[in-house]
Amino acid sequence: MKKQVARLTCLGLLLLVSSCRSNSSDTNAPIEITLSGWQSNPNESKLLTKVINEFEIKNPNIKVKREVINSQYMDVIRTRLIGEVAPDVFYLEAFEAPTLMKSGVLEPLDGYIKPDYDIKDFEPSLINAFKRDGKLYAIPKDFSTLALFYNTTAFQNANLKQPPETWAELTQFAKRLTVDTNRDGKPDRYGMGVAPELPRQLFMIKAFGGTLVDQQNYASFASPNGVKGLQLVIDQYRRDRTVAQPSDVGANSNSEAFGQGKVAMAIEGAWAIPYLKDTFPDLKFATAEVPTINGKKGTMAFTVGYGMNRQSKHKDAAWKLIEFLTSKQGMKSWATEGLALPSRKSVAAALRYDRNPLYAPLAAGAKYATIWQSGETLPTVMTSFDNQFVSALLGQQPLKDAMQKAQDTANREIYLSN
Amino acid sequence: MLKSKFFNRRNVREALSGYLFMTPTIVVLGVFLALPVLYAIVLAFHKVNLLGDVSYRFTGLKNFVRMQDDERVWIALQNTVQYVAIVVPIQTLLALGLALTLNTKIRGRSWFRVAFFLPTVTSSAVLTLIFMWIYNSNGLLNSVLSFFSLPTYNWLGDPEVALKGIMIMNVWATAPLFMVIYLAALQDIPESLYEAAAIDGATTWEKFWHITLPFLRPVTFFVIVMGLIGTFQLFDQSYIFSNGSGGPNNATLTIVLLIYQYAFKNLDMGYALALTLMLAFVIMTATLVQRQFFGEESLD
Amino acid sequence: MKKSLHWPIGLLYIGLILYAVITFIPFTWALSASFKSLAEISSGGSNFVPQTFTFDNYKQIFLQEPLFGRWLFNSAIVALIVTLFNLLFNSMAGYALARVQFPGNRFLFFLILAVLVVPAQITLLPKFLILKSLGWLNSYQGLVVPTVVNATFIFMMRQFFLNFPKELEEAAALDGLNRFETFFQVVLPLAKPALAAQTIFIFMGSWNEFLLPLVVMSDPTMFTLPIGLNAFKGQYITYWNYIMAASMVFTLPALAIYAFFNRYFIQGVTFTGGKS
Repeated sequence: MKKQVARLTCLGLLLLVSSCRSNSSDTNAPIEITLSGWQSNPNESKLLTKVINEFEIKNPNIKVKREVINSQYMDVIRTRLIGEVAPDVFYLEAFEAPTLMKSGVLEPLDGYIKPDYDIKDFEPSLINAFKRDGKLYAIPKDFSTLALFYNTTAFQNANLKQPPETWAELTQFAKRLTVDTNRDGKPDRYGMGVAPELPRQLFMIKAFGGTLVDQQNYASFASPNGVKGLQLVIDQYRRDRTVAQPSDVGANSNSEAFGQGKVAMAIEGAWAIPYLKDTFPDLKFATAEVPTINGKKGTMAFTVGYGMNRQSKHKDAAWKLIEFLTSKQGMKSWATEGLALPSRKSVAAALRYDRNPLYAPLAAGAKYATIWQSGETLPTVMTSFDNQFVSALLGQQPLKDAMQKAQDTANREIYLSN
Repeated sequence: MLKSKFFNRRNVREALSGYLFMTPTIVVLGVFLALPVLYAIVLAFHKVNLLGDVSYRFTGLKNFVRMQDDERVWIALQNTVQYVAIVVPIQTLLALGLALTLNTKIRGRSWFRVAFFLPTVTSSAVLTLIFMWIYNSNGLLNSVLSFFSLPTYNWLGDPEVALKGIMIMNVWATAPLFMVIYLAALQDIPESLYEAAAIDGATTWEKFWHITLPFLRPVTFFVIVMGLIGTFQLFDQSYIFSNGSGGPNNATLTIVLLIYQYAFKNLDMGYALALTLMLAFVIMTATLVQRQFFGEESLD
Repeated sequence: MKKSLHWPIGLLYIGLILYAVITFIPFTWALSASFKSLAEISSGGSNFVPQTFTFDNYKQIFLQEPLFGRWLFNSAIVALIVTLFNLLFNSMAGYALARVQFPGNRFLFFLILAVLVVPAQITLLPKFLILKSLGWLNSYQGLVVPTVVNATFIFMMRQFFLNFPKELEEAAALDGLNRFETFFQVVLPLAKPALAAQTIFIFMGSWNEFLLPLVVMSDPTMFTLPIGLNAFKGQYITYWNYIMAASMVFTLPALAIYAFFNRYFIQGVTFTGGKS
């Protein structure tokens, strides 16, 4: 009995001492901040770890905890934001930004930016993607546009010397590149692959002056001008039969179909380059700018930024991390994987992306690309578009009717949800 | 007088032990399921914003009235009901058939049991790839079909067959689960019943019809209800197939996909929860109809 | 009599073998893919035997992923605890609902059916908020406690116990056993097949659980295997070769549990071959 009492007292004392100690050391203890994102590939992850280590050496009082969310990224982030346990700094896609910027969960960053940070160095269109009412809510970390990937072997076999420069030319080329070697009536290789999704088709809507949404964020893509661009793709698929969806040729994605040689051209982003090189080492391919439509250049741009949680307890430390990761030096040390292009013009130039024959067309697209982003109604608009566009592609209904139906459905839902 | 008191005390004891048996269930399900469901019911009558500046606005029945004019709800309901009506009977009968067969003393039954169960343990990511491999237009299924000179389909691209492809996949992956439940239930049938019947000169068929089937009734009720719930909640496959849109032209739209779109994409929680209540109501109705069909089971 | 049964049995075997082929081939294909390179899987060929046989995928997941062992441990410990508690609690509740008369019995059964019909995606957010207020995020109890009871299997056990011979309980009551003694000494030992089935399902369910750990565990050292392995499904590229290898490793424990508990369904009655 006595022994037990003694033991208990000891334990109590121990607790007291240890709690005292932890209290006193709190002032010197490093601040821990959390960074959440996804992992594109293991190499990229290692590079990021290296950059973070450099940051921790430079800022010995800040410790960075990395959290990786590889599935349903935004669903998880939103859940954690609602539960007020969200990370201090997290990846934010431009596509998702409007809802978060509006809801007030992001910290405006303008106050933190110092002149020597050189914010003017960023592509302006990328910065604008994260602005609302004049305030900046995230710093773009990298981006990619879409470019035309073409199989040079297939081009040689079809006696094509140059990539197409106009969409009319592309349509002609696609016919010559479609081959049916075993003559079973079903092409063994199609001229081009198509991904029937709004993020890949939005610039086609805009080619003839169409718009995705109007001033009030209601869908407006079914206008005659909007349909005109999309009709080009439908005609290639239905009339010429020179274009295929990934599922038509048994592939999981457009870039896989291209890698397998089942389509000779594909409009893809920077991420496809390391993928194709690693997975299909024998494939010979090159890239070019997306052919002009209606005499105008056009493509899509996708960008991801670092956003700061408004409820973060260590906002200064969080900004230091964002600042370091997006500084000229920080960006340089991990934009070498080639999955995307650096968002700073000076870094892109230093890494010579504009001179690299594979990346130059992607870099050039930045000037005229449509950023994949719209208002808060975009999810509704996109679901509706994707749902009906495929149906037009499959010939279940004329494109005009399909788009009108998609637009009406989207707008009714937008109206009802307000 | 004394007797009734005795019975009372017995009843009280019986009731107490009943509650004690149920305590862990009541606590855990109460906190982690009933509470969330209650929360969902309350939110269904509100217009909610949970992200950032939290706001609740009571809207009464507005979310439910909205459903009536929502064409997509009806399409989703139609697709789902069609799917349920085909998949549930097939998977139940298949599971029962497999279990009855594998419960006999045929040779190699252990091997068959393991082989049949493989689809159930295979992870869903791999199942997806396997099905791409089987279903794509140059895939295994079409090779087999063309070998027998049967018509081939674009199983993944053609909406006419897409839902059928999903049905086949679902039956294939869930029938083994129910097979195991039937196998377990078959072990509980007392051998003496069969022996007595054999003495009376009953044929195999008569034994099956008068002993086995009635005995399996409670478990069949379970299998069908779980089949109903599982199929009414179809989500994964149609999400993967249509990349979340439910297309082409709503061919693969299901109720839970619709709920997911509203809850997670459009961030319209109130409406999503109203849809959930509607789905719950539909499933409960189907269960009750089914229960009438199976007759009231005794509880004493 | 015996002769006439020969060819139906032959037909039966053909049917069984055909069905086994349908279930077995995809699995063996996935197994063979786990020894292929990403390039070979992506090339779209449907060859069964890998052109170049490689162990690299397994090496990558075991050696290159420093947390793999930790994830395996997390998954195993959670699945084990969850299975044990479920076996006890679900059986108790199922028994009470089937056999014990208490006020509210039917109502509770109805409630259990009612919570079953609500999709998991919907209860996720409130569940997350409750776990957060309990301070259980990033902890084992956050995954274990909400799943120690399972409405589905309470329902299943109830249906099983409905068939349980009443005479045995009455005999136990005459011997002076109370409900608890009856349950643990008489009923449970005779419910082995149902318990075996439950073990298989609960273990598999916990082993495969994805949604809850995805939101509850943010610290990579607390991930379970399905969450950790999801890293191979990259943002832009899916590493099918690693996914195949990982899922083979992942499938084995569940398959082993199934094969082991199968022995409880093995007695079998003889329908074929005439009279038994």
